Amino acid sequence: MGNAIVVKNLGKRFHRYPADRPQTLHEALLGGLRRLRPAERFWGLRDVSFSVAAGQMVGVVGRNGAGKSTLLRLLGGIGRPDEGQVKVNGRVGALLSLGAGFHPDLTGRENVFISGVISGLTRREVAQRFDSIVAFSELEESINNPLRTYSTGMQMRLAFAVAAHTEPNILLLDEVLAVGDLSFQRKCTERIAQFKAEGCTIILVSHEPTLIRELCDDAIWLQGGRLAAHGPAAMVVDKYVAEADAETRRRTPETRPILHTISGTALQVNENRFGSLELEINAVYLLDSEGKLAPELDSGDPLCVEINYQATQPIHAPIFSVTITDRDGTVCYDTSTAAAALTLPTVKGQGQIVLHFERLDLNAGLYYINVRAYERDWTYAYDYHWHVYPLTIRSANGDQGILRPPHHWEIGGAQYNDNFLYPRSATPHEEVKTVAKE
Amino acid sequence: MKSSVTPFRARRLIYLRDLFQELVARDIKLRYKRSVLGIAWSLLVPLAQLLVLYFVFRLVLPLNIPNYTTYLFTGILPWTWFHSSLLAASGTIVDNPELVKQAGFPVAILPTITVTSHLIHFLLALPILFIFLFFDGYHLTSAILALPLVIMLQFILTLSLAYLVAPFHVRFRDTNYLLGILLMLVFYLTPVFYDAATIPARYQMLYRLNPMVNLLGAYRHILIQGELPNLQSLLVLYAISAGLLSLGYMVFMRAHYRFVEEL
Repeated sequence: MGNAIVVKNLGKRFHRYPADRPQTLHEALLGGLRRLRPAERFWGLRDVSFSVAAGQMVGVVGRNGAGKSTLLRLLGGIGRPDEGQVKVNGRVGALLSLGAGFHPDLTGRENVFISGVISGLTRREVAQRFDSIVAFSELEESINNPLRTYSTGMQMRLAFAVAAHTEPNILLLDEVLAVGDLSFQRKCTERIAQFKAEGCTIILVSHEPTLIRELCDDAIWLQGGRLAAHGPAAMVVDKYVAEADAETRRRTPETRPILHTISGTALQVNENRFGSLELEINAVYLLDSEGKLAPELDSGDPLCVEINYQATQPIHAPIFSVTITDRDGTVCYDTSTAAAALTLPTVKGQGQIVLHFERLDLNAGLYYINVRAYERDWTYAYDYHWHVYPLTIRSANGDQGILRPPHHWEIGGAQYNDNFLYPRSATPHEEVKTVAKE
Repeated sequence: MKSSVTPFRARRLIYLRDLFQELVARDIKLRYKRSVLGIAWSLLVPLAQLLVLYFVFRLVLPLNIPNYTTYLFTGILPWTWFHSSLLAASGTIVDNPELVKQAGFPVAILPTITVTSHLIHFLLALPILFIFLFFDGYHLTSAILALPLVIMLQFILTLSLAYLVAPFHVRFRDTNYLLGILLMLVFYLTPVFYDAATIPARYQMLYRLNPMVNLLGAYRHILIQGELPNLQSLLVLYAISAGLLSLGYMVFMRAHYRFVEEL
């Protein structure tokens, strides 16, 4: 197999113009001619060289402005490099924007044809694939209705269905997966896996390091327009995440008044608190099913983690994460708004976000609920409270380990629950059942 | 690829043809669907203009041109095509950012689509012109066979200007206002509602630098006089338009790399 993509010393230069750059000829003629010149030129991408073997899936990570989208555009032949070259062998399909050419006043059918042709198919090819496209989008009922009668979700399904039928050799993906509902996302992910299985070379740009680690063979890390790392996805993503942690430490202010949580733990910067504090987590409450403070819970009880935050400036799409660790710092569970495919709006001022655990099947012991607010690219943390909120889990028996899934024993046909000493054992699946066999 | 047995180059040509057809059809359909009047809407503008000019120059300040309605309309229709194509072409890049940002999309197709869809409106209005001609007692002669040549010439001329205007509007967003003013000036320098012969002889050279003067002259030769237009001046115009087109295309292609950054 040869290389599908060869990039050599690629460089793209951008111009930064004065803020008062004339936008109209009128302004330009009224004495703005000087301001027409760029104030500054800078390299959005430089000295980037790599090659991608046919059939490989490569992820691109990096923070905002690192040159990810620029790279993707140059690979797609949009714009011209100022330095170096890009060689692409094969038909490029790009999901840089879904639904290009869609118009609300045209019917679904008309839009499929227009969008298909715009994405590089001939009319005949669209016609051949038409039934399959409609089936994939599950819009058989409404394909002849104007697009404006569709919900956003339906429009996305139709757009992706068209894109999924363009049969590219090389596919460029830019975060399109971040839209739509969960089942649609699953469908997209499945289709991408199918593309990969068919031998399609895929470049995926994502803010989500875990997605790249899961899906990609290799990863490229761009930093300030340069190639910071290129190698196996797991390795590159780990490096990138480690760099984000280091960045958080660098950005953590040196001094900050010590705060006390309701349980009396002191919040001390660089001890148990890290982050740039552009967004501050000012109170975290662990609540039981009745909404009361619950420093102690029984194993299997529900838990609410209520995070109250304050943003002194508008923060775009922060990510909140909750990690449960044991007293040694071993991670028992970790989840985030990004993992649930939730994108927060721009936040400013006071706010609250709550994570509900329907059951917390942890074994008895002392745990910590760690909360974090991240910058939208995971580049660094705004605020990170580590080992600040203790949670004691009670369990009457002597089970070992971290997990305590609901369970019962069955001996000779009779089923026993080991929780008979346990005051709240009346949950249905933990009921003692005696099965009369004889 | 599974289905493309056709060689690469042939496929590309088929693809460009299909893309062109789909986008022109989209333009036309949208105009048709958006209003109750549909296609009639595009006739309304030239007809209204006809009414106004007829009123002013027949009743208020009479110009002694025989069969004035027909004379006017042979001028108004090509002018409307020219005028509305250029105004629409100035916005064609800015109005279609999602197409410009599409990988592999031939951006240079956009101005041709604007000029073509306005050509279609022009052609749809032609039957009305023929009705006027009929009522004024004109008979179509074999000179009508030269009409496609003139239409083609106007297409090339308009397209070359569209290529120049479109990238300019990406950079300066007031281009279409300025263009509107400029076109208004050119309108009065074009014999739409008067006779080019009334321009004093010493200005004629200068006056005829406006290509629309000879172009309208050619339309009227064919439709009203029923004779072939001056082939020599037509050829000169063809040469100039071809030159302008390659210039416009070059300017457009040089600028188009920056479109993505400016949108």
